[in-house]
Amino acid sequence: MATTTPVESSTMPRAGGGSFAARRRRTGWFMAAPTIVAILVLGIFPLLYSLALSFQRRDLQHPNEDQFLGLGNYATALADARFWDSMFNTVLLVVGGVTLQFILGLGLALVVVDELRGKRFIIPLLMLPVMMVPVVVALGWRLLWDSQFGAINHILSFILRRDIDITWLTNKWTALFAILVTDVWQWTPFMFLILLAGLSSLNPELYEAAALDGAGWWQELREITLPGLAPVIAVAIIFRALDAFKVFDQIFMLTQGQPGTSTETISWYIYQVGYKFFSMGYAAAISYLLVIFLTVAAMIYAALFLREERS
Amino acid sequence: MTQMDGKPTIDAKWLLARAQAKVNRRRLLQGAAGAATLPLAGRIAPARAMPQHTLSNPAAVAAAQKVLQETGDSAEAAVAAAQQYSGITLNYLSEAGLMAEGPKVFSGPRWQELTGITVNVVDRPFPELFPTMVQEHIGGTGGLDVVDVVPAWMADMVTQGIIEPLDPYIEQFMNPADLEDFHPVYRELMNYGGNIYGLFDDGDTFLLYYRRDLFDDPEAQAEFKELHGRELAPPATWDEYDQVQAFFTEKGNGEYWGGASQRAPLQVYHWWMVEFRTRGGEFFNPETMDATLDSPAGIDTLNRMLSSNKTMPPGVEEWDFTRVFEAWMDGRLAMVGGTWPPFGRFSERYGADTVQMEWLPPSQVADNVGYAELPGGYSSLASGFMLSVMTSSRNKDAAYLFAQWMNSPTISLERVMLPYTLRDPFRLSHYNSEAYRSLWSNAGEYLDMLQEQTDTALLDIIMPGSQEYHTAIEQMWGAVQGGTPPEQAAADANAAFNAITDRIGRDAQREAYQAYLALGNVYPNQE
Repeated sequence: MATTTPVESSTMPRAGGGSFAARRRRTGWFMAAPTIVAILVLGIFPLLYSLALSFQRRDLQHPNEDQFLGLGNYATALADARFWDSMFNTVLLVVGGVTLQFILGLGLALVVVDELRGKRFIIPLLMLPVMMVPVVVALGWRLLWDSQFGAINHILSFILRRDIDITWLTNKWTALFAILVTDVWQWTPFMFLILLAGLSSLNPELYEAAALDGAGWWQELREITLPGLAPVIAVAIIFRALDAFKVFDQIFMLTQGQPGTSTETISWYIYQVGYKFFSMGYAAAISYLLVIFLTVAAMIYAALFLREERS
Repeated sequence: MTQMDGKPTIDAKWLLARAQAKVNRRRLLQGAAGAATLPLAGRIAPARAMPQHTLSNPAAVAAAQKVLQETGDSAEAAVAAAQQYSGITLNYLSEAGLMAEGPKVFSGPRWQELTGITVNVVDRPFPELFPTMVQEHIGGTGGLDVVDVVPAWMADMVTQGIIEPLDPYIEQFMNPADLEDFHPVYRELMNYGGNIYGLFDDGDTFLLYYRRDLFDDPEAQAEFKELHGRELAPPATWDEYDQVQAFFTEKGNGEYWGGASQRAPLQVYHWWMVEFRTRGGEFFNPETMDATLDSPAGIDTLNRMLSSNKTMPPGVEEWDFTRVFEAWMDGRLAMVGGTWPPFGRFSERYGADTVQMEWLPPSQVADNVGYAELPGGYSSLASGFMLSVMTSSRNKDAAYLFAQWMNSPTISLERVMLPYTLRDPFRLSHYNSEAYRSLWSNAGEYLDMLQEQTDTALLDIIMPGSQEYHTAIEQMWGAVQGGTPPEQAAADANAAFNAITDRIGRDAQREAYQAYLALGNVYPNQE
């Protein structure tokens, strides 16, 4: 009687454990489980729960007065002048700040990318602000903006040869300007570093060819540098813009949203509503409006960028 | 309605219902989950069931009773009772900075020496104190035992069940005569809904400080009389204040100014609120609970404060407590238009030889400081602190005993005389203390003025949402100083007040407002 020896296959079931592929899948799931659980518990669950929260009146200072409001919190937020004012301030700071950071960062990168004496020391020095804690930066700048003892008024007085005693932080526009300058000082190096990396990766032969063709500095910038850097610029701007949207430290240290509520940003407003006055439902609704706004803005930005790339 | 010291107080049933409101596990998880997705980092700890009041340790009660019968000293009674809890650690939430130096350097170590109980001081900046307590209550970790509570927060603290009623503890551990030693206004503040929720511990009554050498100068007196047709004296009204300030500012010619008050937004609402009320303003219409900050009194106050800035030092819009103090000590101000009591002892450089007070600048005003009532005739009880026990504390007895010991007549006198804490006299025995009255040449005048002004000091808003109401006033002032027309700023503040009231509930707030009015000292000449 002929006998056959079973051939072991990876797909064949094995006693007590199933196939190798099945075991491998199980092991994979087992290994990934802690991460998945962590993401579910710490990320997805709070996200969904806060979404549910945003439809309710949930005031931790008045615990027995919870109420389902449907879209009530969203409607309140959309009719809330402080919400719009803080969004306006945030957009102003993001657009103004990121634009200036880009221009200054690109300028610095263009200077440093070429052979430059002391480059090895200059780059780390330029990077110092970005390595500092934002609260410390804002604290330092608060002293600089001080009307009586601050260096800025002293320097202006010296330059203009008359006493300058501008109280920078007590007027809406000068305070926003102060916040903008502080932010630009800290984050321009970030833009500089990314753009420098991008510039360093551009093919030098393109510049040599352009030089042979008689192209000037401006033509090189427009025709070679900026198109070559476009993907890097796109990433740098989106990174900075998303981060700048969360501006909080400068507001906390420089103005606390004052004068009045005129320098509140959206993060500061959410902090006030959620963590100072504990209206969690409303704070969650504003947070979701912010998420929606940022998602739409990022999608538009990406679509514009991709269209530019294709063309 | 119950009667306390002849004054009606809030309906006890309503308060009890609200005080019993507890945050359950589900809603805490909900709150924590929601908070986790907010764009800013924050921590709301997992829920715990709120600890209930438990009967005190009989041995501790017996020890305290024995001492009380023998000596009647609440401090000694607290120590005898607390020895039963030797080895534990108490967490005490205090304002960061000099305020926390008291428990860190004096009360904490001494309490440990006497009882074996360690005191860990958790210090937070003033604006963070209230949120810290609320967060701890939500978390229920037992991480705070004794807390510094501003009386204005009492309504929120009680209705949320954050702080413990102290009556059972007082009954067991304190000599009841000590309650009579509190200044009557402060004693009233310890009550809410017929229960005591805190031991008043810091008498923050504003005084006007002025330079006697400048005011007594015959040449200045003659000039002023010729100019204004009256004697040069501490101003009786805010308009007179501006006259005197302008007079000295002009006379100082850049060397010194007539006066200054805090103008940097943080606690300027105290100044606005006291002047607003002395001009006849009221916060709400008691029937409708509509805010009435934009009344003529409100607008006049904003306009007066704004115009007063013009004769204060340049850049005063950024001046906080420290900046005013520094200019005052340097002799650059003729008056300080109302501020907290430590100015009195700091001006004399009392305690300048202690490590904590090494920063104290030289005083150009020592021995020349006069004390007067605020213009308008009414002072402001600007914040102040009470010692309270958290309901979430795991060591309520020991926490209360520590508070009682610190707050007792003997120990509290030592504490208010410590140069480096910001605790100010609040007991009748403090005002009358010979030891305190001999600290500097006219300390007696200072204490008499403090006591007198406390009699009529107007209270902060003590209602649910007080933090938010005060913030709305602060923002109104900031806006005006930033260029918003006073009418517009006051209308915005009104809208903010109404939104807060609507969110909490008009009916509930109407009742709370009546309870607040019942405290007395809310408005001048209040019946």
